[in-house]
Amino acid sequence: MNEIFDKLLIRILFTVFICLALFIYKYAHILFYPSKKKQILKTIYPSENYVDTLHLFSRLIGIGLIFSTLEFNEYIGISISTFHFFVWSIIGIIFYLLSIYIMENIIFYNFEYKDEVLKKKNGAYGVVSFTSAICLAIIIKMIFQESENSIIILIILWLFSLVLFGFSTRLFKYVSKLSFNSLMLQKNIGLSIAYSGFLFGNTIVIISSFSHEHLDIGPYLIQVILKALLSILILPIFKYGINFVFKINESKNQGLEEEVNHLGHGVYFASVYLTAALLTSIIIAQIHFGTIYPFF
Amino acid sequence: MNKLILYGILLLVYLGLSKSLSPGEYGIRYINKKEDLIDLIPGQPVSAILADMHSTGFLIKTYYQKYKIVYGFQSYEELIVRTSSKFSDSLRPYLGMSVFRRHADTGEVSYTPLPPGSIFIGDRNYGNWKVLKNGNKTWSFFRVYRQLPTYLGWFDFSPSYAVFLKISSHEELDKPYFGSNDEFGLKGSITKKAYPKYFERQIPEDINLKTFIKDYLKENFIKRESL
Repeated sequence: MNEIFDKLLIRILFTVFICLALFIYKYAHILFYPSKKKQILKTIYPSENYVDTLHLFSRLIGIGLIFSTLEFNEYIGISISTFHFFVWSIIGIIFYLLSIYIMENIIFYNFEYKDEVLKKKNGAYGVVSFTSAICLAIIIKMIFQESENSIIILIILWLFSLVLFGFSTRLFKYVSKLSFNSLMLQKNIGLSIAYSGFLFGNTIVIISSFSHEHLDIGPYLIQVILKALLSILILPIFKYGINFVFKINESKNQGLEEEVNHLGHGVYFASVYLTAALLTSIIIAQIHFGTIYPFF
Repeated sequence: MNKLILYGILLLVYLGLSKSLSPGEYGIRYINKKEDLIDLIPGQPVSAILADMHSTGFLIKTYYQKYKIVYGFQSYEELIVRTSSKFSDSLRPYLGMSVFRRHADTGEVSYTPLPPGSIFIGDRNYGNWKVLKNGNKTWSFFRVYRQLPTYLGWFDFSPSYAVFLKISSHEELDKPYFGSNDEFGLKGSITKKAYPKYFERQIPEDINLKTFIKDYLKENFIKRESL
């Protein structure tokens, strides 16, 4: 019984420690986003501004996602495992906030947080920001697992994945008929759904590109590039295949309001793109050929 | 139209990068004619025996050949090359035979398919002719080269003087010679003994659909012992 109580106590202590890590995150967030100092430090009323709630809590979900990859190994010693968790959670927080900072500058280069969230309460901005934060957390979680406690490899993979993700976000205008900037100004929810599907799809493809045996960083990254390139070739086939099989007509329906049109198109685009990305991930990551070298 | 052109360019870029960066391409040379073996096989005297052939791929095949390179003064080596379908098919009948040799003194190269080790038979540096009771002569390697018949995969093959003369004349005429009783080559009895793996792969797998489904269900859906 003593052993059971001891283990339970250790789990509770670690739970408190994770809460402490969240406290550190709160203040680290202020460092990266000084303009949000007031929102973070004062009491939050979620119902007051749902866009701000979405914006803030997306980061919290993200940090939870990243923390979920970290481990406590009590058998190596409580102090060592706590220190390990502390160091890697700090690294996770820094990388995550840096990633959000960079990506928001790429995605919302024409928009300001203060204007869109605090003044205009732009729901489309909130949804896209939410998706972007979650996608980045998923990517960082994946590179944390791939780096296997090597900070050098983590930096290389982080930069690499960020370039891939950043580049992929710029391709929206080539794959969708929806205009990001003008519809974002109009607070168009259809656009936000379409862009969210697009970001989630890209994240799935990027994660699949990274999912293979990691022995040497050079050949590993080459394989990532090749897989990413392959996904650009495979994804349109699935997209056109779905359109063909289900006889989808993308042209606008006459007589309907533009807002309704955009909403329908956004839902369609997000669903098809996400499905195509998931199916592409099978092709690029889940087909195993075995060794090419002929052992005969 | 522009999208199609872009797609085509991306496809070419992908193929180009895969070709130049794929680890599967490292270390294996491509040959599509017998003359290409000259650069791959150094030294003299040397004999290259076609030891195995293999193809990989589902729709677009890649062909491989394995050569056993037997030198006069050292142990044998193995060489694996990629080849074209045409070249692979052209050498298929000569499995287990010497398809490349470089003579010791002259450095002259010959590609006539001959029994393995033909280059050493009759060379007084490696052995001599022993006269049998019936008056026939048979080739015997010196003691220091006693491993050569093993390297060459001869088993019970003991070349007579008549075989030696046949080998010499066929080499001059550039005409394949499979041995006095066709012991070598794809249908040869000694080849089948020396390189059994190739022949094992040629036996079609006997698939019983009923057994296959039964095993599949057993392995995947029925409770295992550990549960």
